[in-house]
Amino acid sequence: MMLRRAELWGGLFWLAIGAFVAWQGWLLELGTLREPGSGFVFFWLGLLIVAFATSIAIGGLRGEGPLLGDLWRGARWRNVLLVVLALIAFGFLFERVGFVICSLALLLFLMTVVDPVRPVISIPVSLIAAVGVWYVLEKMLLVQLPKGTWIEDFIPF
Amino acid sequence: MDVIAGLGHGFLVAFEPINLLYCFIGVFIGTLVGVLPGIGPVSAMSLLLPVTLSGTPESGIIMMAGIYYGSMYGGSTTAVLVNIPGEAASVVTCIDGHEMAKRGRAGPALGIAALGSFVAGTFSIVALMLVAPMLAKVAVAFGPPEYFSLMVLGLSILSFLTQGSMAKALLMAAVGVVIGLVGLDQINAMPRLTFDRLELVDGIGLIPVVMGLFGVAEILTNIEQQIRRDIVQSRIGSLWPSKEDLKASAGPVARGTVLGFLLGILPGGGAVISSFASYAIEKKLSRTPERFGKGAIEGVAGPESANNAAAGGAFIPLMTLGIPPNVVMALLLGAFVIHGLQPGPLMMSQNPAIFWGIVASMYVGNIMLLVLNMPLIGMWVQVLKAPYKILFPLILMFCIVGVFASGNAVFDVFVMIATGVLGYLMRKFGYEAAPLVLAFVLGPMLENNLRKSLILSEGTFDVFVVRPISLACLLIAATLLIAPLLPALRKKREKVALDATD
Repeated sequence: MMLRRAELWGGLFWLAIGAFVAWQGWLLELGTLREPGSGFVFFWLGLLIVAFATSIAIGGLRGEGPLLGDLWRGARWRNVLLVVLALIAFGFLFERVGFVICSLALLLFLMTVVDPVRPVISIPVSLIAAVGVWYVLEKMLLVQLPKGTWIEDFIPF
Repeated sequence: MDVIAGLGHGFLVAFEPINLLYCFIGVFIGTLVGVLPGIGPVSAMSLLLPVTLSGTPESGIIMMAGIYYGSMYGGSTTAVLVNIPGEAASVVTCIDGHEMAKRGRAGPALGIAALGSFVAGTFSIVALMLVAPMLAKVAVAFGPPEYFSLMVLGLSILSFLTQGSMAKALLMAAVGVVIGLVGLDQINAMPRLTFDRLELVDGIGLIPVVMGLFGVAEILTNIEQQIRRDIVQSRIGSLWPSKEDLKASAGPVARGTVLGFLLGILPGGGAVISSFASYAIEKKLSRTPERFGKGAIEGVAGPESANNAAAGGAFIPLMTLGIPPNVVMALLLGAFVIHGLQPGPLMMSQNPAIFWGIVASMYVGNIMLLVLNMPLIGMWVQVLKAPYKILFPLILMFCIVGVFASGNAVFDVFVMIATGVLGYLMRKFGYEAAPLVLAFVLGPMLENNLRKSLILSEGTFDVFVVRPISLACLLIAATLLIAPLLPALRKKREKVALDATD
């Protein structure tokens, strides 16, 4: 039962991070108190993180906090997963496909698959938002947005 | 005389047409994000931070400041009409404000919130104008030990006030400092935690981190649950409060204003804690405390005044010491730095146009807000009716655009996605993002001042305790850190534990 405590897993995660930071600090050189090195603050912060994380993990072992499964009980976690995947795909395609097509696809995906909106609303909203933002940034504020390395030879503007 | 001359100079800057426009855009967007639940001033400011690059420093900072105090005004509309705080500082307004609305008194509730906010906002600007020059003179004497101790105090206060476990809050602060230190060592230019990635040599950007932890994480948290909005359907009626309402609200507005301003100055304190404190005081002072929670106008007037006064007070540590007391001010510091400016004791003498221009624009902005909030309530109600399933894809797109435009790098978009997922998981596991972000901003300054202090003192820690200001800050910080271990103080902390973010 205590292995399913959220506090335990949260604590262990930060424990690993803290240990890594302390180790990196050690590698960067601690220096002396008279002349602290590049790793001085990292090392001590890493140990501090380890200390706090240990106290949180011990709380989990004592049965404190909710169970891991309870954190997602009744939640529409599928939506979260879809949005994260869509954002990662957006990140990879952004420079290759360009801002307008990528944003349009993202908006339509979110308004069609994640939390559906009627097409009569989702299509015009997506179109106006993607093209409108592109126009304001690219033409008015002169912010350079990716045109798309895969398609830039085919677009006239 | 200096103050009057400075203010005169400031008004010349504030009344330039371009600055008036930026001020209007700032307070309008601030009110809008205050009205809309799910996007707060932090997300809006980080979204618009890149836009400030296209104008003069004073225009950009005037707009950013406008978003902050504008959101304090706007948050009350959502709290009263929908019973959802538009931003964290309006949580208390929900209690009596929504009750008033349910009893057909939404108009006076919104009216007194706007009036109280105006009075408090104006007072805090006058006080900022008078206190900041005096504090700046004192701050010139601050050395690295004082700065280090003051930053430790700020992080301790924020961790103390954060909801839930203090160990988690302190852990977040430590993680924030580590993330803030990624990149080249300021003293010997050695790359640290860069993993041979060129993008990390300059450090991790503030905008992607804040957009991820607040913007994306907020959306991920919201879309996994059905958002239900219980908008008051009855007519809002006249916004002008009755004579009795005004009489009952005068005291709470005055007390809330002074309290909010004082708490706003404290590093780590701010709008949220001051609104809760004001509510508690008004309830305690009332001859009929049983009316609180059932639609008492004092329960709206006091907290709304307090959170607006705190918004003004929060500018003092930033402008005079260069230390942001909360996450919003950290973003404002980011805006200064982007323009090559360093707020601090010398700001008023070296960049008077910017300092006084911002102060004067806040007067103008407050009047704009009164005009926006009183007659345009109907429009804000319509905005509130926009379904979240249409809003969130747009907000996500704006987050991506804002992050990309700030550094012209897709790497930053990935940083935003990563911190967004981290922020979502942190919320799930009960870790607050506010200490992390404040520590992220303060991290490089904190390390720099610690190392300088140790070098100056030839390796002894005495330097932090022989200087009175430094000692006082460390003693208060130590008291706050030990407090949760004492049962009596722990109870008090749990009572005031608040989420001090947007």
